Amino acid sequence: MKKFKVGLATSAMVLVASTITVVGPAAVDLTAASASPVAQAPLNLANEQGTLWSCSFNPFIPSSLPYSFGLTYESLDFVNALQSGKVTPWLASAYAWSNANKTLTFTIRSGVKWSDGVPFSAADVLYTFNLLKKYPALDLNSVWSVLSNVSASGNKVTMNFKSAAVPYLYYVGGQVPIVPQHLWSKIANPVTATISNPVGTGGYVMSKCSGQNIKWTANPHYWQKGKAQIKTVNMPAFLSNNTCNEYLASGQSAWGSQFIPNIQSAYVAKKAGNSYWFPPVANVSLFPNLTVPGLNDAKVRLAISYAINRSLVSKIGEYGYEPPASQTGIVSPTFKAWVSPAAAAGLSTTANTAKAAAILKADGYKLVNGVYTKGSTKLAFTLTTNGGYSDWIASMQVVSQQLTKFGIKITLQTPAQATFYSNLFAGKYQLAYNTEAGGPTPFYELRQMLFSKNSAPIGTAASSNWERYSNAATDALLNQYGTTTNLATQKAIVAKLEKVMVSQAPVIPVLEEVDWFQFNPTHIGNFPSAANPYAQPGLYNQPDWGYVLDNLVPKA
Amino acid sequence: MRFLVRRLGFLLIALWAALTVNFFIPRLMPGNPAEAILAQFHGRLNPSSLKAIEVALGIGGHQNLLSSYLEYLRNTVTGNFGVSTSYFPVPVTTVISRALPWSLGLVGISTVLGFLFGTALGAVAAWRRGGWLDNVLPPSFIVISAFPYFWVGLLSIWFFSLTLNWFPTLGGYTETATPTLTWGFVGDVLWHAVLPAFTILLTSIGGWILTMRNNMITVVAEDYVKMARAKGLRPRRILWQYAGRNALLPNLTGFAMSLGFVISGAILVEFVFNYPGVGFLLLQAVSAEDYPLMQALFLLITVAVLVAIFISDVATALLDPRTRSSR
Repeated sequence: MKKFKVGLATSAMVLVASTITVVGPAAVDLTAASASPVAQAPLNLANEQGTLWSCSFNPFIPSSLPYSFGLTYESLDFVNALQSGKVTPWLASAYAWSNANKTLTFTIRSGVKWSDGVPFSAADVLYTFNLLKKYPALDLNSVWSVLSNVSASGNKVTMNFKSAAVPYLYYVGGQVPIVPQHLWSKIANPVTATISNPVGTGGYVMSKCSGQNIKWTANPHYWQKGKAQIKTVNMPAFLSNNTCNEYLASGQSAWGSQFIPNIQSAYVAKKAGNSYWFPPVANVSLFPNLTVPGLNDAKVRLAISYAINRSLVSKIGEYGYEPPASQTGIVSPTFKAWVSPAAAAGLSTTANTAKAAAILKADGYKLVNGVYTKGSTKLAFTLTTNGGYSDWIASMQVVSQQLTKFGIKITLQTPAQATFYSNLFAGKYQLAYNTEAGGPTPFYELRQMLFSKNSAPIGTAASSNWERYSNAATDALLNQYGTTTNLATQKAIVAKLEKVMVSQAPVIPVLEEVDWFQFNPTHIGNFPSAANPYAQPGLYNQPDWGYVLDNLVPKA
Repeated sequence: MRFLVRRLGFLLIALWAALTVNFFIPRLMPGNPAEAILAQFHGRLNPSSLKAIEVALGIGGHQNLLSSYLEYLRNTVTGNFGVSTSYFPVPVTTVISRALPWSLGLVGISTVLGFLFGTALGAVAAWRRGGWLDNVLPPSFIVISAFPYFWVGLLSIWFFSLTLNWFPTLGGYTETATPTLTWGFVGDVLWHAVLPAFTILLTSIGGWILTMRNNMITVVAEDYVKMARAKGLRPRRILWQYAGRNALLPNLTGFAMSLGFVISGAILVEFVFNYPGVGFLLLQAVSAEDYPLMQALFLLITVAVLVAIFISDVATALLDPRTRSSR
């Protein structure tokens, strides 16, 4: 998302951007002020999406997602991926599992009002979940694939699941924005309706939207007293990364989520206070197609994993912003506590070609004309990566060189984005470089990678598990995780999954996907940081960005 | 009359051909709009949402190409362009109507200015053949016209907004301002339009200068111009009333065509300047595989160009009787 788009203008613009000395006059708000006695500068966000804003604020429609969930609409809980899924109560004051972890009961907070003054109640929660059941197009997280029924009585909402579903607390509690029944029940078709004046319980009210900018003002009646202190928030639409980076570097924006090449000179050095923090959240991995001869052999996949110098890939392909990943599949330092020492033993961020060669020799492969060969199987593959991301292409060029030099011949392909995804989903590739969505604990990403039901036959689009891995023992482990709320037991299960990753290498993590986050704390305090990672700081994370906005404090 | 009917028939056939190509070409692209939306989120969206998005957009399942083609033709005639998939659920007409004024204003005005200045300069250059204007303008504009739009745009941003700090670097107006009909806002819009308009003007004016100058040189050698000189008419009158008017005719068709293209905006200029116009919309529609938006935009451009050519044909026929009987 915050990638460096390849385009005609790109390299020329980098040159221009790196020679900036002074940048245009500061943004002037022609309409603001008056609301508060002490004038407080609006907070402008730098979030390049390559699109003008649609100005429809339906939180269940992906094309409008980043603009309402989190700051206008709120969910029952806030689940923090940077603190191993720590749950903070939001619209629900408490939750409890019962019935062998098949029933989840939320206690709905009282005293909360919608921004139009109507009181919020458990009926709104019930309405929202039934809405998702009635319109599968709105059920982005497929919560009704695991739910069997939802009911409300008094201030309690009870959800019954088809089977033990502990990890689904994240989806039902943390990923479903609650909408007002008194307004939404009047909408004829909520899938196609344009929601131009969103009414939510959140700290910010959308006050003005044009294709070029969205403006929010703090909700004066917000139920969380003392929060949402920034009075005005603007999010201009940026069509290209470079114009947005320039806006950010010049100090017109104090919070950005941008990929900035040479960040030290192009951003940090431009203005006092400019800072960045890139917390890793998921893996960017090689997905070997397990139906391809050669790649269906775990030994070959392990050899590939050992032959890659991940540190070098990170340094050359990503300016070091995305740290090297681990074959265990655990993203650190974010999920450091989940790393199994037994599984991680002997792994390194640099290459171990001697070990890789030993694995292949033991497997019967011999070097023939510089390529490892066994019988009619020659280790020569195509590697495909999204042609829209120049940093990924650079990373994969390094990987191709390393593997080809080692004796596994790689041909790099960089198709256009649509072709890339279409082929990846359908399994029409040999090696592909991509990332899974991840979640608040390492389990979510491992499940996306390894659960056989996420996959599909070759030719049919798979939602994840694109490598087509299927193993009954692994499936059983993944199902077992859902039955326990005990952290120690969960960690023991994840340790076994790590063992699967390092012994079979169904997926080969190369680098760690990070949250792009730049901030300037000169006038605004309490941004998330390594010391206080209270939410994901990237502006495209919902509902995290709204949660962060609620917690920011203006400095005098 | 027969001429008019023939031109009208040609217009309709060209329109139908364009409509058909417009329908089939985007569908040859791999992938679908739902995958494009998922791709936009770069893996941040739960993978299972692909199905939800497909249901919302009404894709997936097998659709008969022929029946959707007929439905498309019917919808086009009735002006029902559907809902944009990249700006879902906003209707295509709303999306376009937001962007169109920006492109019409920026590209329209700079095209007209380019034509007027270019034609005038070309005429004067040819009139004073061998003069300093004639020695300097055509060669330098041959060089400048060869520069790509975006490169000139980038250079002018670097020089005028980053070094001299005279103009803003991006946007149609100060991004946090609210569009209103006040002098302050209109001034803001104009201030933001200067650099992109200058870029378009600089790179397009050369073509007008060159063609006008070449037309003029031929016309100036005509007998009636000599006659006018012999009569002792004032040079200025000969330049504009006798030579200029006739030399202008071939340029009119070119001008009509570029007026038609105004509606497509200027893709690269709008991209470089972050200008919220149709050109950028087109770029985005193609990359997001937004078929409804793409189709409506291409249709708009095609119709505008065809109608502009038709009008210029008719105008030329009215102005110049010779073209009416020509085969």
